[in-house]
Amino acid sequence: MAIMISIPAGTSANQASTQNLSQNLSNTITQTEASINQTLTEIDCSLSSGFAGFGFSPGNFTPGQFGGGGNFNPGQFGGGANVPGEFGAGAFGGGITSSMNESLYSDISSIEGVAAIAPTLQVSEGQNVTVERFGRTFTRLVPDYVIEGIPLTSSLVDNYPILPTNITDGRNLQAGDSGVVLLSENNTGFFGAGVGDKIDVLGQTFEVIGVHGSSGVSDRTTLYMNLSDVQALTNNTGYITSLKVFASSSSVVTEVANAISSLHTELAVTTAQQRLEQLQAMQTSYNTALQNAESTISQTQTTAFEEIVVAVAATSLIVLFVMLYTVRERTKEIGTLKAIGFSNWTVMSQFMLEGVLLSLIAGVVGIAIASVAAPTLSSLLLPSVNPFGGSVRLGANAGASNSSAATIAINPQLMLLAFGAAALLGALGSLYPAWRASRTRPAEAMRYE
Amino acid sequence: MSEAVLKTEKLSKSYTLGKCNVQALSGVNLQVNKGEFVAIMGPSGSGKTTLLNVLGCLDKPTSGRVLIDEVDVAKLPEAELYKIRRNKIGFVFQTFNLLPYLNARENVELPMECVGKSKSERRRRASKLLEMVGLSGREEHRPQRLSAGEQQRVAIARALANNPAILLADEPTGNLDTKNKQELVKLLASLNLNQGTTIIVVTHDGQVAAHTERMLFLKDGKILKEKQGLHLAKKKLMCPYCGSRTQLGDAICPSCKKKL
Repeated sequence: MAIMISIPAGTSANQASTQNLSQNLSNTITQTEASINQTLTEIDCSLSSGFAGFGFSPGNFTPGQFGGGGNFNPGQFGGGANVPGEFGAGAFGGGITSSMNESLYSDISSIEGVAAIAPTLQVSEGQNVTVERFGRTFTRLVPDYVIEGIPLTSSLVDNYPILPTNITDGRNLQAGDSGVVLLSENNTGFFGAGVGDKIDVLGQTFEVIGVHGSSGVSDRTTLYMNLSDVQALTNNTGYITSLKVFASSSSVVTEVANAISSLHTELAVTTAQQRLEQLQAMQTSYNTALQNAESTISQTQTTAFEEIVVAVAATSLIVLFVMLYTVRERTKEIGTLKAIGFSNWTVMSQFMLEGVLLSLIAGVVGIAIASVAAPTLSSLLLPSVNPFGGSVRLGANAGASNSSAATIAINPQLMLLAFGAAALLGALGSLYPAWRASRTRPAEAMRYE
Repeated sequence: MSEAVLKTEKLSKSYTLGKCNVQALSGVNLQVNKGEFVAIMGPSGSGKTTLLNVLGCLDKPTSGRVLIDEVDVAKLPEAELYKIRRNKIGFVFQTFNLLPYLNARENVELPMECVGKSKSERRRRASKLLEMVGLSGREEHRPQRLSAGEQQRVAIARALANNPAILLADEPTGNLDTKNKQELVKLLASLNLNQGTTIIVVTHDGQVAAHTERMLFLKDGKILKEKQGLHLAKKKLMCPYCGSRTQLGDAICPSCKKKL
């Protein structure tokens, strides 16, 4: 009985967690699509070959690579007078995507087809963690949050999608805002602050004016503020980490991107088209994951169904044998009952009732056991859901896509169902023995000792 | 005095035991009148129990008729037979056959449940019957807390619950010691005398048979002879073999030395 309850409970928990996962995946897909549409004219430029706009900080930049670059002067980067010493390997060492002097790129605005340029500065703040791998020691920044400075000029803010769109509390940043910060929902937890509160960012106080929900995987821990605030805060005036260039129309995006690339060979230029491809690749992987999840659901259901069939068959057989034994054991009693005037029907219904009652008691015990042992039992009996492959146990899988872990709960509905099943199985299992009992001829039954 | 409660005509019963065909009863003609106290006697395997089972509708005859209150029960289907058993017949078994998980009163109430008597009515009658068999005060006792004699008296009270036309007793004293046996026989005799209950008792105990009006000796499924019983409850105590006087407590006849 415990098994019979655990399996449906586990199945529905499995299903719930997979559905959670599916929901998250399809949300991500939708969000990704939205950001694709939004940024059709956008071109992201950063020093490295990575995908700065998406937060895939490459971190593989070394000044030496730029040494030969025609337009790039290493002196203006890294060890330059304007760049504080801590940038390189200091406090923000691994956290900042290679920074560049903003003034160097003023020529981009003169490229034909460029409608606007939004320089941004992104700084990660967190703790350096030393990891040892392959016999070597690496220092890696595990960010607590990412600060992104956005130029808050009305011409940019009002016309281009440079600010997060999903504001869940307070208000968005506006042109001219300074000394204020837009937190992500994740940040509110880290800072323990909400709208209207003052928080400390790198030693300076900022007021929280709003909270944004993440619109994808990239900005979950990103807090936004005015570019000039970030530059001043990090002693980085005049420096940026990337440029968002907006083409005047989507038809000239490729030409503009090529022009930027040829003008500044050190820049990694990612057009909307390329971004689209990357996003689509992500979409594909999400879709695969979704399909995996779905097939796991159906696999789980099949397994659960098979196991339930086995459990039901076993239970019925147990009831059948117990009742057959009871009938045998009590042949004389049956004979007596019939001799003193009980009808076949009464005898039969008595035995049926007994079978059902026994099963119901078993049901109560089973529910009690299941309410304690269901998670263990169902994880033993059911395949776990993990759309990304590998072996992840039920419940733990949820972490894969940050979906809330589904808990295996015995709800009243399931209990009622189990009770009904117990009664039905009791009736089913005792049907034949009861029938046999009722057909026993009293004279024969009396001879039975 | 010749109102027949039970009558059999050319009653035969055979069954196969393994490969052998056993003729348990062959052509038994029998009539029991209302208020009679009849003993069926005979050696083991003579068909006593089979006859009683057929009379009590626990078994069906192979041929012949069994008339209970002028209804031929041999032809009735099971769906009707249980009503005859319930309303016309009270059964007493050698092994008492009380339900162990019910107390004395509940055991007596059991047959009344079948006929749908109200709870208070069942309770009242059960108490009355238990009082009649001398067990008042023991109503709440379960069978295992009663002596063998007491258990058999509960069984008799149960058999009488639905006021049957005939009381059939199969070796009722077979599991009882001498003292309890005598008490039980007295009880049956007084039921017959005072209540006018028709009683048919299967026994091979002469002492039990001696209390009856009529004795039927069965052998090989046939009624070998019929003898007037002594009906000791009515007449003086007499030895059924030599006619000399005996005491109720005697195990053997003082004059002919035969076992009573």
